[in-house]
Amino acid sequence: MQGSIRIRMMMLMAAFVVVCGWSAISNAAPPAPPSGITVKDAPNDAGTGLIVEWQLSPDDRKDADPRVVVRYEIDRLARPLKPENETPIKESKFAKVGEVNFQLAKYLDQNANRQHEYLYRVRAVSVDGESSTAVESTVAVQPELQYFDMRRAWYLVLLVVVGGAVVYFIQVVKSGKDLKIRKIAGLEAVEEAVGRATEMGRSCLFIPGILDINDIQTVAGITVMSRVAGLVAEYNASLEIPTCRSLVMTTSRETVAAAYLSAGRPDAYREDDIYYLTDEQFGYVAAVTGNMVRKKPAACFYMGAFFAESLLLAETGNAIGAIQVAGTAMPSQLPFFVAACDYTLIGEEFFAASAYLSHEPHQLGSLKGQDIGKFIGGILIIAGCLLATVVAVMTDPPSGLESLVTFIRENILGEKGFMP
Amino acid sequence: MEEPAADVTVGVTNAVTEIAELSGRKLVDDNGQIIRPAQGDVGCDAYISTSSAGGGLQMMVAGVVREMTAASAKRAALGAGAIVMDVIASNDRRLPHEQIQRIRELRPDMILISGGTDGGTTSHVVQLAELIAPAKPQPRFGSEYRMPVIYAGNKEAVPIVEETFDKSVELSVVPNLRPVLERENLGPARDKIHDLFLEHVMAHAPGYDKLISWTDSPIMPTPGAVGDILRTIAEGQGINAVGVDIGGATTDVFSVFDGVFNRTVSANLGMSYSISNVCSEAGMPSILRWVHLEMDERELRNRVKNKMIRPTTIPQTLEALVFEQAVSREALRLAYQQHKEFATTLKGVQQQRTVGDTFSQNTSGQTIVDNMKLDLLVASGGVLSHAPRMVQTAAMLVDAFQPEGITTLAKDSIFMMPHLGVLAQVHSKAALEVFERDCLIYLGTCVAPKGQGQRGKPCFSYSIRSHALNELGEISCGELKQLPLADGEKAEITVEPARGFDCGAGKGKPVRKEIRGGTVGIILDGRGRELELSTKREQSVPAVTQWNQALDLYPESS
Amino acid sequence: MAHAYTPGLKVTNRVRHRTRRLLPLPGEVLAEIGSHVQAQDVVAQAFMPGDVSPINLSNALSLPPGDIPDIMTRKEGDVIEVGDVIAVTRGIFGFFKTDYKAKVAGKIETISKVTGQVIVRGEPMPVQVKAYLSGEVVEVLPQEGVAIENEVSLIQGIFGIGGETCGPIRMACESHNDKLTLEKITSEMKGAVVIGGARMTGEAVQRAIEVGAVAVVSGGMDDQDLRQILGYDLGVAITGSEKIGLTLIITEGFGDISMAAKTFELFKTREGDEASVNGSTQIRAGVMRPEIIIPLSESELASETESVHSSGMLDVGTTVRIIRDPWFGLIGSVTGLPTDPTTLGSGSKARVLDVKMESGETVTVPRANVELIEE
Repeated sequence: MQGSIRIRMMMLMAAFVVVCGWSAISNAAPPAPPSGITVKDAPNDAGTGLIVEWQLSPDDRKDADPRVVVRYEIDRLARPLKPENETPIKESKFAKVGEVNFQLAKYLDQNANRQHEYLYRVRAVSVDGESSTAVESTVAVQPELQYFDMRRAWYLVLLVVVGGAVVYFIQVVKSGKDLKIRKIAGLEAVEEAVGRATEMGRSCLFIPGILDINDIQTVAGITVMSRVAGLVAEYNASLEIPTCRSLVMTTSRETVAAAYLSAGRPDAYREDDIYYLTDEQFGYVAAVTGNMVRKKPAACFYMGAFFAESLLLAETGNAIGAIQVAGTAMPSQLPFFVAACDYTLIGEEFFAASAYLSHEPHQLGSLKGQDIGKFIGGILIIAGCLLATVVAVMTDPPSGLESLVTFIRENILGEKGFMP
Repeated sequence: MEEPAADVTVGVTNAVTEIAELSGRKLVDDNGQIIRPAQGDVGCDAYISTSSAGGGLQMMVAGVVREMTAASAKRAALGAGAIVMDVIASNDRRLPHEQIQRIRELRPDMILISGGTDGGTTSHVVQLAELIAPAKPQPRFGSEYRMPVIYAGNKEAVPIVEETFDKSVELSVVPNLRPVLERENLGPARDKIHDLFLEHVMAHAPGYDKLISWTDSPIMPTPGAVGDILRTIAEGQGINAVGVDIGGATTDVFSVFDGVFNRTVSANLGMSYSISNVCSEAGMPSILRWVHLEMDERELRNRVKNKMIRPTTIPQTLEALVFEQAVSREALRLAYQQHKEFATTLKGVQQQRTVGDTFSQNTSGQTIVDNMKLDLLVASGGVLSHAPRMVQTAAMLVDAFQPEGITTLAKDSIFMMPHLGVLAQVHSKAALEVFERDCLIYLGTCVAPKGQGQRGKPCFSYSIRSHALNELGEISCGELKQLPLADGEKAEITVEPARGFDCGAGKGKPVRKEIRGGTVGIILDGRGRELELSTKREQSVPAVTQWNQALDLYPESS
Repeated sequence: MAHAYTPGLKVTNRVRHRTRRLLPLPGEVLAEIGSHVQAQDVVAQAFMPGDVSPINLSNALSLPPGDIPDIMTRKEGDVIEVGDVIAVTRGIFGFFKTDYKAKVAGKIETISKVTGQVIVRGEPMPVQVKAYLSGEVVEVLPQEGVAIENEVSLIQGIFGIGGETCGPIRMACESHNDKLTLEKITSEMKGAVVIGGARMTGEAVQRAIEVGAVAVVSGGMDDQDLRQILGYDLGVAITGSEKIGLTLIITEGFGDISMAAKTFELFKTREGDEASVNGSTQIRAGVMRPEIIIPLSESELASETESVHSSGMLDVGTTVRIIRDPWFGLIGSVTGLPTDPTTLGSGSKARVLDVKMESGETVTVPRANVELIEE
């Protein structure tokens, strides 16, 4: 009797072991393989990419828990197109080139080259690292070179439109038609300021910012300086230019001398009125403001890059009753200038000054052409914002719309577009 | 004045005798003297006179900066009734020797020099004097008298300027025209110009010394007197007014806006001597756009030149009249444009700003002429006052000046304004009364909202109420309409402009105002401002024909 | 009887004409009273003070204006040549002196210590005045000029361009109604005053310039042609300084208009005689008309003088010319002088007269639009 119980127990235990052992075996089984693998050339590249696509493994279900398939591994076999030219890649058998996460059925291989053709195979891999049997592509594919990256076609359109606009407007100006440029009060006022200085028998003061000549704002400032100097020469007034950089002094001297010459008064030019003070920001400001209080110029021009000294200068100028015209592209300093000066050139206006003053066809045409570009950019930004809002609000946006938003965000307005 | 009556007093006595005959009052005694003051029913209270002898007072002015002190000097000279022959300034883009050449060529009656604020530039002013002194300008009338030069500049430069001029000129010093750039002080310079005009220029015309002794207030240059009366009226009634006098050779425009008086003389815009210049300045197409009849351009050109060389002829045919009135529209338009460019706020003034002005920085030196603020537009001069139909005068005024909002139109009946100007100095109340009662003929009121609209779309709706008139209606863009409202009558008008149109209270805002009638009545003008009229004949002819029919301008032509 | 407008243009075959030839500034008179001068003779000359050139020494030498008088090496009144040193700075301890060499020649007029300017006046330029009219010097205004008188035929035109010139009269047209066309201008007309009849065409004028005629006189011309000849649209009627190669004078007006028969006949009788022509016109207060003056020769002086016309009175039977469209240029005789103002086609009221034209038609025109024709 005793023995039969023992046998039963052993049988039970054996059954348990068997059951357990079975289950252990079934856990380690590989997932079902993906199917239907296709390989095609990646578009818009230099012949380096191939796209591998497949059907997900039946075990890779969206709501599976626990996950059976965690990733897909992609292997590649490269075959040289010309047998004698076998040196570059020595893959004669499949080697792993990459992997993608579950629920993805696409892999972009960017390391192909045009001297080879490729075969791919894809394996589904389970949590335990078990690979399914590989599904292999049957046709060897060779990557192709595309001369045009059509994804950036919009850029071509913009280029043609903006560039065309520039060329068109240059032609328009050359044909003698006058392009209307909005009156820039600040530049119109230069004449008035110099006139005031003349009538009052005082000098004009010009400060070309505190940065060196390599700063674009300083360059723009010097364009305006040429205009101011021309007027000063014509009115027979005097002009003083203290600079903060030695190179700016040299450039200013050349500019002013040329302006006096073209105004027909080269004899009135005095080099000593254009001088270098110090590189030290506040040392410079102290010297200039001190000079302002003593000499009381009747017209002050601040044209260039300014920092903390903007208000110090402008306020001193205001206190001595000068007509002041400022121009800078420093957004943080603009409010100070606007409040303390009579006229202020704001950012773009400052850079447009040279076209505005010279009325030279090329500059005028470019200015107008750039306006068209800015206008298009503005339209795109507004359209993009509206579309993005619509997509965000809609519960089930049409996929076309969504991809348009993505395209605008990534290609036009993103890093590859207007905002590099 | 020509031979044989080479003495002005002869003409004056004749004229006074004629008045005496008309009024039945003895005004001249047996010696040919005017009896003053009145004794019973003999004589008169005052005798006043203006003069435009010798083509008026011609001046040259000089200043440091063209837009600042030189502009002030020009204003002072024009305001005193002078014709400004040239303006010399440091920045007039002429080289010194060219300036000297110019000073030599001109033969002004008088020179006015200004420049520098008090305490301002000395060198520029002295430089001007150094230019003028060696040029030795010759006065127009003979060499018997020394050229009067008025200095009205920086007071600190006075001694040096005095030193610069030798005895060949008669230098007078008056207070600075621009003591500071922010303020103009034209009074002293203007008074000095009047004094010198009497002392020097007039004194050289035969008989004037006698005439001066007859008058009760100084003889003024005629245009100066016109300015005075307009200023008196505008100040007295608190209105803004523009006056125009279009002559054969020149057109004068006077304006008073917010108490600031300005006068300009467009020397080469006129209807006879200068008619050819109007045509070349405006261009034939611009003139012909006002003409609804077909005319041959070659023929017209010859006619224009023939009018120039024979200035006294009058248009006989309707065609000639239409063309002459078209020319006058362009002449007036150009003259008013020049006036607008000249009548500005002072230049060179420091501005006060707030951060709110970032995107709206206005330059100084903007014109102070604002057609919207204009209340009264007065016309005088042959082509305007002698137009066969009053409505033609009104139409020329409206087309050329393009008044905005609600504007009263009037014409000077018999060129009485200059005399009232002098009378205003003696008896300002009497002058005002005569001005209102006898001088002006009210043509009516023009209602024209500012803005542009598509032809045929609504422009404004109106309702007019008076005891004789009760009208409601709507004017569409491009439409013109005339409603009768007799002289002396008043009506209340409510104008509701359409969106985008402004009738004085802002865009789209209704306006209610009392308006006065006249010989023409009320002109409701929906043509928009600026009034756009193409020079293409296929566009202008139908438009002008329609307007002419609406106002019944030339009834014979339709 | 009533007054009528006449442009006051003189057309007389004999008049004692006096012309004043004055210098623009005091100078020397070369002719004596009683002497006979020819048109081309110089009767007075003066030296126009030369151009003034200011030199800003204060700027050129970087010195305060007040120091300038002290460093000048030449004084006011000195004559300088180009390259002359006119100022030397004191320098430092006698070293580093800078000098200023004159860039213009002339006489130093002033040295200013306020502006630092030195004003140099260049060489005087001679200004010569020619007699213009051949005749007798009847008056000498010392330092100013002379008055010349002669018995002349005088014809004033209504409008002209170009200045003074002289040459023999050459008739180009047969009758006063003939247009002055291209083919009527021949190469023999070089140096001559060409007289046409009616309108002168643009081509004719062009041809006259080519052959070297000094003046063309005719009844009328088209404004369009005038514009082409001048190259611009004439605005202000002050002429005389145009440089187109010859002097143009029209005697009647613009458009197709014939020269007055009397004027034409006068020219015809004087063909071949030397004439002085001036196209200067000023239609302003102080009007100036172009003129053709033909001095009379000794033989002609012997003939009787013409009686003086009374002018300015309109009467029935008076010959008038209509001077305004629509009948511009037509001639007729007055048949009626209604006293009351009449309403015109234009709508304005004016005093009118009736004119019977050469065609036999009778028209009514405003009195302001006719001028008297002396026959």
